[in-house]
Amino acid sequence: MSSSEIPGGTAFAAEAAPRPRRRRPLTFARVLRGAAPYLLIAPVVLTIAAILGYPLYHLARLSFQKYGLFELIARHGTSVGWANYSSVLHDPVFRHVLVRTIVFTVANVALAIGIGTLIALLLTKVSSVVRVLLTAGLVLAWAMPPVVAVQVWLWMTERENGVFNYTLTKLHVGDYFQHDWLATPFSQLSVTTSLIVWGAIPFIVVTVYAGLSQVSHELIEAAEMDGARPWRVFKDVTFPILKPIFLILTSLSIIWDFGVFTQPFLLIDQTRINASNELMGIYLYEEGYVKTDFGRGAAISILMLLIVAVLSIVYVRKMVKTGDEAA
Amino acid sequence: MYGGSSMKARFFAAAALAAVLAVAASTASAKPTAANRAAASKLTVWLQVDAQSGWPNLVAAANQEFESKHPGTNVDVQYQTWPDHLSKFDATLAGGNTPDVIEMGNTEMTKYMAAGAFANLSSQKGSFPNSKNWLKGLAASGIYNGKTFGVPYYAGSRVVTYRTDLFRKAHAKTPTSLAAFTATAKRIAKQNKKRGFSPVYIAGTDWYFAMSFVYDYGGQIATLKRGKWVGQLESKKAQAGLAAYKRFFNAASRASKTGIENRPQPYDVYSQGKAASIVGPAWFSCCVGKKYTKATKQFVMPSHVKGQGMPGFLGGSDLAVPAGSNDKSLAADWIRIFTSTASERGLQAKGNIPNATNLLGNSVNERAAKRSWFVPTAKNWVNVENGNVLRTMLARILTGKASIAQATAFADSNIELTLNQ
Amino acid sequence: MRARRRRTRFVWDAVGLLLFAVIAFPVYWMIASAFKPDDELNGATPTWFSLHPTVSHFRDAINRPFFWDGVKNSLIVVSVTVALSMVLAFLAAVALAKFRFTGRKAFILLIIGIQMLPQAGLIIPLYVVLARYHQVNALSGVIVTYMTFVLPFSVWVLRGFLLGIPKELEEAAMVDGSSRLGAFSRILLPLVAPGLVATSIFAFITTWNEYIFARVLLNDQSKQTATVWLSYFTGTGRNTDWGGLMAGSTLIAVPVIVFFLIVQRKIGFGLTAGAVRG
Repeated sequence: MSSSEIPGGTAFAAEAAPRPRRRRPLTFARVLRGAAPYLLIAPVVLTIAAILGYPLYHLARLSFQKYGLFELIARHGTSVGWANYSSVLHDPVFRHVLVRTIVFTVANVALAIGIGTLIALLLTKVSSVVRVLLTAGLVLAWAMPPVVAVQVWLWMTERENGVFNYTLTKLHVGDYFQHDWLATPFSQLSVTTSLIVWGAIPFIVVTVYAGLSQVSHELIEAAEMDGARPWRVFKDVTFPILKPIFLILTSLSIIWDFGVFTQPFLLIDQTRINASNELMGIYLYEEGYVKTDFGRGAAISILMLLIVAVLSIVYVRKMVKTGDEAA
Repeated sequence: MYGGSSMKARFFAAAALAAVLAVAASTASAKPTAANRAAASKLTVWLQVDAQSGWPNLVAAANQEFESKHPGTNVDVQYQTWPDHLSKFDATLAGGNTPDVIEMGNTEMTKYMAAGAFANLSSQKGSFPNSKNWLKGLAASGIYNGKTFGVPYYAGSRVVTYRTDLFRKAHAKTPTSLAAFTATAKRIAKQNKKRGFSPVYIAGTDWYFAMSFVYDYGGQIATLKRGKWVGQLESKKAQAGLAAYKRFFNAASRASKTGIENRPQPYDVYSQGKAASIVGPAWFSCCVGKKYTKATKQFVMPSHVKGQGMPGFLGGSDLAVPAGSNDKSLAADWIRIFTSTASERGLQAKGNIPNATNLLGNSVNERAAKRSWFVPTAKNWVNVENGNVLRTMLARILTGKASIAQATAFADSNIELTLNQ
Repeated sequence: MRARRRRTRFVWDAVGLLLFAVIAFPVYWMIASAFKPDDELNGATPTWFSLHPTVSHFRDAINRPFFWDGVKNSLIVVSVTVALSMVLAFLAAVALAKFRFTGRKAFILLIIGIQMLPQAGLIIPLYVVLARYHQVNALSGVIVTYMTFVLPFSVWVLRGFLLGIPKELEEAAMVDGSSRLGAFSRILLPLVAPGLVATSIFAFITTWNEYIFARVLLNDQSKQTATVWLSYFTGTGRNTDWGGLMAGSTLIAVPVIVFFLIVQRKIGFGLTAGAVRG
């Protein structure tokens, strides 16, 4: 059965061996088939364009303007060319913040995906009661509003009578009386990491677990019966099938963790934020909105976009290539 | 031919259904707005949620009086929250649909006044109730370049909330001077040796409290000289005040030297039995815990000069009319009604300080407001606050990382840099 | 052999339970605090389990103005957003995964690029645009805003799941003589279902907990969503009602749990057994 006899003349067949050229009548059905992908993506493109089109244009234009509160009220900014960009790029704080945020992102992404994958694999090994319980715990953690989660973290790490200090002192692990868990930039960012990883794991687990369901049991059992150890089974059978999902999760996690704002801002608090513990998201907020310099804020936003694009380009390109191979 | 069209159809049906739901939802919400636009005109008022929970009856009364005076205009009060009401205000400024009346914190006013956000009320100033007697500290926050943009709404001062039982045990009467208070604190410390117990719980970087010492000794934070802001913390008087603060802190507080004044909340420390007294707004008395409610009273923080109070930071709110409002005269009239003597008396009954000296009573809160200080009315002052310049200075002084002279010099240069931008 | 299996499973179960305890502890703390009387909430020593539980916080939370409006509005906004977004995203993901067309790379760039933008910068311009369409203070305005944030990653994730389906399955379906789209609905859709479920849960939770755009776009308290309602607890200039906040947060988390329970069955089972023959 030649591919050209498959009804619909699929795109799958397009990559196969070159077919004999045949003149095909231009029927409505054929036009519809050619237009199909465009029709399919049209609603998404239209929605995004309608709502974000102007804001994106406005943001780009704003980055070349001096636009403070005065200009906001007058609804008119003054053009300053590249001044905003150069002031940000020449700001030594910016460079430190960038490095710090990259390290922070790598740590968070690695921890979240690593731990999340392990938990997803664990879910396949436990009895159904424990699986339901663990999944319920994950979803509850996922559902907790970030603001409330920050509050619980603050309670747990409170200097005066937080749960951590109290328990650690009672267990005689050391003297944690009035220990301030948010004293140094390192401890502030570590506590932030614990909160973010905790909040990120459920999505990773659910997505990876959903992906695992696409891995057929038979393939795994076959590999196991061949005598492969769990790590090899994962590497040779599971991972290749899950590769697109891991690429997606990694790229998304990089994007989200790079620009994270709410959790570190609320944990560290406006009063303790300074050049030694700022992350990019907070830097944007401080320079752009606290100082009401919207032009500068826009420039930082665009720079963040470019930086994140560079950071995630490796994964994105792999994703696109994997798609090209399969399609 | 296209056998799978049933699936496609199913999808589009689902999409259509969802779209119908969306339209239904939007029309459900659109109707009231359309009705509002079509019917009588509307006055939009932004008040903080404190009014909704604290004195909703005063708001209702003002609305009623306004609507009977101006039939055909509805008052729509929309309650805001402190953390994001300015972001929302910025959005409405950009979108051209600001409210007609907005409540602003007194420290938030200057930046917006300088940017031209508010309507000039100077010509009508005399028509506002008790305007001749407005509290100086609060009224100053609504004036920029000699023009009035804000009407004082209500204020709050800082007082000392204390444990009467512990003070009695230390044979202490209400202290009338800083020296007497320090001596009392030392005695209480001797009698309560529990680890971490503070005779007076003060967070190290509580700059509202620390700057009171500066003003008490005759110093100030910054002054405007020939159009340029000059930091004044290096002056002898300011440094003397800070030295007094350091002495008092070391004698009285076991709180973190670098900690902030709302984490943990002082009233929580108090209710846990870890403090004999705390300094803060008068409403702290709400939350001292069941155990100590009966044994709690308040007094005015004493000055280093016997017989008078230390100047306290006057917090409070103003009411302003955004410049883009379509009904500026109606808005001003609503403010007039809401800040009437009767309304202010109502606020006073709820524990607030009313906006005029002729209305002041004798509560501790109001007595504390007799001597008050306010931050420099510079349009970039909020940047100094957000840059934590004063907090850093206090932390360095208390931990000994810098001498008072060094720390104040550094802070002054920061302040001048920021204010003169 | 059996005993070893049981012992291994026992070890895994123990690990799983330990993980559950660690992960769920903050949630436990939130829920337990909602039942604590005020003096235990900020007491000198942490109370693990209140011996005098109270429901007063829940009562206060529900009686706070606009609680039910908040829940209702959130349910409307989130369900419409998720439903529409899943449909549109799935269609677009099919286009990306199964078709080659010019402009494909540009579309991918758009999808990824949108997600890389920090949202904070978009608040004011978005408000201006929606004000022009009269979509301020309207649930529909919030819905389309949320859709623009949910669609990109949904398309991206669903594309990944579609790509993960072994080609053999598609071709096997084709050989069976069904048309392409017929193959989709009967064989592939159930295989993508877990991915759809995972994405819809993410979309649900993200939009349910979204705060700043709802805050800025909605004025009337009767139109505000549940997260905005919750923000009033911490937005006052005075003391925060922690018990009320915890009770409110617990109540608000309930619809999310319900949604998860409804859709979670799709993740548990996939058509894996015997799917690939030979």
